Amino acid sequence: MSFLKRCAVAAILFITIAGVASAQQIDILLKGGHVIDPKNKIDGKMDVAITKGKIAQVAANIPTKNVTKVIDVTGLFVTPGLIDMHVHVYNGNDLGAYIANGQTSVPPDGFTFRAGVTTVVDAGSSGWRNFRQFKEQTIDKSQTRVLALLNIVGTGMFGRFEEQDVADMNPVMTSHMIKTLFPEILVGIKSAHYWGDFTQVDKAVEAANLAGVPVMVDFGEHEPPLSLESLLMKHLRPGDMFTHTFSYGPDKRETIVDESGKVKPFVFEAQKRGIVFDVGHGGGAFSWRQAVPALQQGFKPDVISTDLHTQSMNGGMKDISNVLSKFMSMGMPLQEVIHRATWAPANVIKRTELGSLSVGSDADVAVFNVRKGDFGFTDIRGTKFKGTQKLEAELTIRAGKIVWDLNGIGAPMWDAK
Amino acid sequence: MIIPRLNLPVIIGICCICLTLSAATQAQEIDLLLKNGRVMDPKNKIDAKMDVAIANGKILRVAPGIPSENAKKVVDVSGLIVCPGLIDIHTHVFVGSKPDVFADGILSLSPDDFTFKAGVTTVVDAGTSGWRNFPLFKEQVIDKSKTRILAFLNISGVGMVGNPTQEDLAEMDAKKASETVRAFPDYIVGIKVGHYDGKEWQPFENALEAGRKANVPLFVECHLPQYTLEDQLSRMRPGDIITHSFEKVTERMPVIDDQGKLRSFVKDAQRRGILFDVGHGGAGFWFSQAVPALQQGLLPNSFGTDLHRFSMNAGMKDMLNVMSKYLAMGMSKEAIIQRATWYPAQSIKRQDIGNLSEGSVADVAVLGIRQGKFGYTDAGNNRIEGKEKFEAELTIRDGKIVWDLNGISAAPYSTKN
Repeated sequence: MSFLKRCAVAAILFITIAGVASAQQIDILLKGGHVIDPKNKIDGKMDVAITKGKIAQVAANIPTKNVTKVIDVTGLFVTPGLIDMHVHVYNGNDLGAYIANGQTSVPPDGFTFRAGVTTVVDAGSSGWRNFRQFKEQTIDKSQTRVLALLNIVGTGMFGRFEEQDVADMNPVMTSHMIKTLFPEILVGIKSAHYWGDFTQVDKAVEAANLAGVPVMVDFGEHEPPLSLESLLMKHLRPGDMFTHTFSYGPDKRETIVDESGKVKPFVFEAQKRGIVFDVGHGGGAFSWRQAVPALQQGFKPDVISTDLHTQSMNGGMKDISNVLSKFMSMGMPLQEVIHRATWAPANVIKRTELGSLSVGSDADVAVFNVRKGDFGFTDIRGTKFKGTQKLEAELTIRAGKIVWDLNGIGAPMWDAK
Repeated sequence: MIIPRLNLPVIIGICCICLTLSAATQAQEIDLLLKNGRVMDPKNKIDAKMDVAIANGKILRVAPGIPSENAKKVVDVSGLIVCPGLIDIHTHVFVGSKPDVFADGILSLSPDDFTFKAGVTTVVDAGTSGWRNFPLFKEQVIDKSKTRILAFLNISGVGMVGNPTQEDLAEMDAKKASETVRAFPDYIVGIKVGHYDGKEWQPFENALEAGRKANVPLFVECHLPQYTLEDQLSRMRPGDIITHSFEKVTERMPVIDDQGKLRSFVKDAQRRGILFDVGHGGAGFWFSQAVPALQQGLLPNSFGTDLHRFSMNAGMKDMLNVMSKYLAMGMSKEAIIQRATWYPAQSIKRQDIGNLSEGSVADVAVLGIRQGKFGYTDAGNNRIEGKEKFEAELTIRDGKIVWDLNGISAAPYSTKN
């Protein structure tokens, strides 16, 4: 063989070996689990391969050769990392503030991964005036992916009183910030805590039209309550979100289930029209007396979220696994529950690169154990509903890195040789 | 004035009625009655099936068969352990919005986010603040939290602000530190030394001097790479506390030698009354140290978690997880509860907490023991397996229910409530 030929052979060999190596190079292989991936209509036993922070393959019986780490997840459910579409994480130490830069918000990482969440959407804690502080202080410093709805009020949720200031509801500045400055992070607009008429909602919709994003409305605190039918059928657009769906506080907020226990007909109409119903459990917004009859009558929320903040974290809400388990205890199947915390919210916030296990997407993955036993779940009124199943996050992976491992299923034994 | 003539039987009768009435009134004073639990109260040497009555935020009575008729709320805790609220003597909770630091920064955590769900009612902050910024810590966190927060004061006046400032010898003022301890006797329980890279013993000596002046123990948090372990222990006084006891890092000699033997000078220190805290943290706990140490008789005196941003989602997780590790390593439940309640209370000279004595503040944890197959990881991501795991069912702080995992204190849902 001539020198050139030998060089060519060597080159071909090298390329072949490199090709084989790259095909076999898997960083993490989740083996033997039951994959639920609503976007891709997967609901069965499959393996999930992760490479360089991305989903490399989802298939049955992926070989374990040349895998850096194989984790046996037999008996567990493998899902896309959950998206919690309603949280308050603009944590700070302005002792005079309510949620914006205040202590009612929580830093996300202590709550998300241990519940299988990899993405949260802050629901209007900040407005255009203080979003940049929120970004610098929390978003840029968190391992959790933090997206946000920008409040139509410039100062966000600094305080109930300031949230009434119509002069500080600026659709143009709000839409500029979303469209021009932070389109990667800002996914919609929030309207909340307003005491007046429909002005705030209409301003939010105006800004949303300019920015091409949806609106989320927390529609309370009007005395007497404003018409819910008018909000859902006239003021909001298909794709807009109504949150705190199952709250019960009829003095300030019209309920979706009437006093005789019937779901109001316009609620079904609104959902058909494309209005998104979000749970937003919180410390004051989830009552069994609304949720149980609603589900019995066939009304299901589109998205299940927590409204995480300090007033909900230790109460009936606890975390998203607990909230999802509540819906399972009311009879919603696991697959539907997972859908409402993954692919459904990804669509609502128009971030369809999230919430699935499609090959090539960011490897944000949750692995759940479904505990069996006698469990109780409380609502915000301190009443209890019983269940026999409870979700528990075993393993959470964010961008291909293990960020939570409850029982060390990804770890070797301490005395192994 | 007409004095009725009463005969003896009538007088006796009236007395009986009065006594019954007053007894009934006393019985009615119970706000919360925990019935049929296994009460474990190491201080009072109780480990038996008993009821615990709480009134006005205090422990009213601990006894078998307390009548429930006149209790405002009765919670059946059969099959569960009822013990004093747990005490975590190593945390970092001087949370603020400064990036990348512990003191007033995002590396510290809000205690309420983590404590109650793990049965903890008291935390001790391990020197995140010093004499300069303790007042800010108190105003910003201690006074705003539901968890009882005590503190070891850093000998460095600025606390954990990072290098080089926190290593400035001029800041390590024994007089100022001891004056601050005396100014806040209800909150500051000791002096902390740690995080110093120099060879001089001045920080250690100043911390000891401050401890002597204020009559409080020294809490040695290591991260003192130029000092040998033997020298540190030899300078400590009986009752002083060393943490990260089972760490295996380059900056401090481990307590177990290369042959797997507990070093003799460590045994001597233990005999002399030096107290060993776990201080798990992100790097402070290794099974390769803790297991042989336990086998050779070095039991931790307390289960400090070293809760902070980098330990919360790693092998540490929460205090019950750390306690469950010791369960898996073979320590008895009695020994574990002791080390989570009464022992740490004594070590910080706060005998008013960590017990269920009548008249003490009603800080109570109700713990379940899950049966199953569990895994626990250490700082090196090595795993140990166990068949039992602690779980916080109910946490009571100052007589109030602040955590109720399964709604055991809640009324069943009905359409009426």
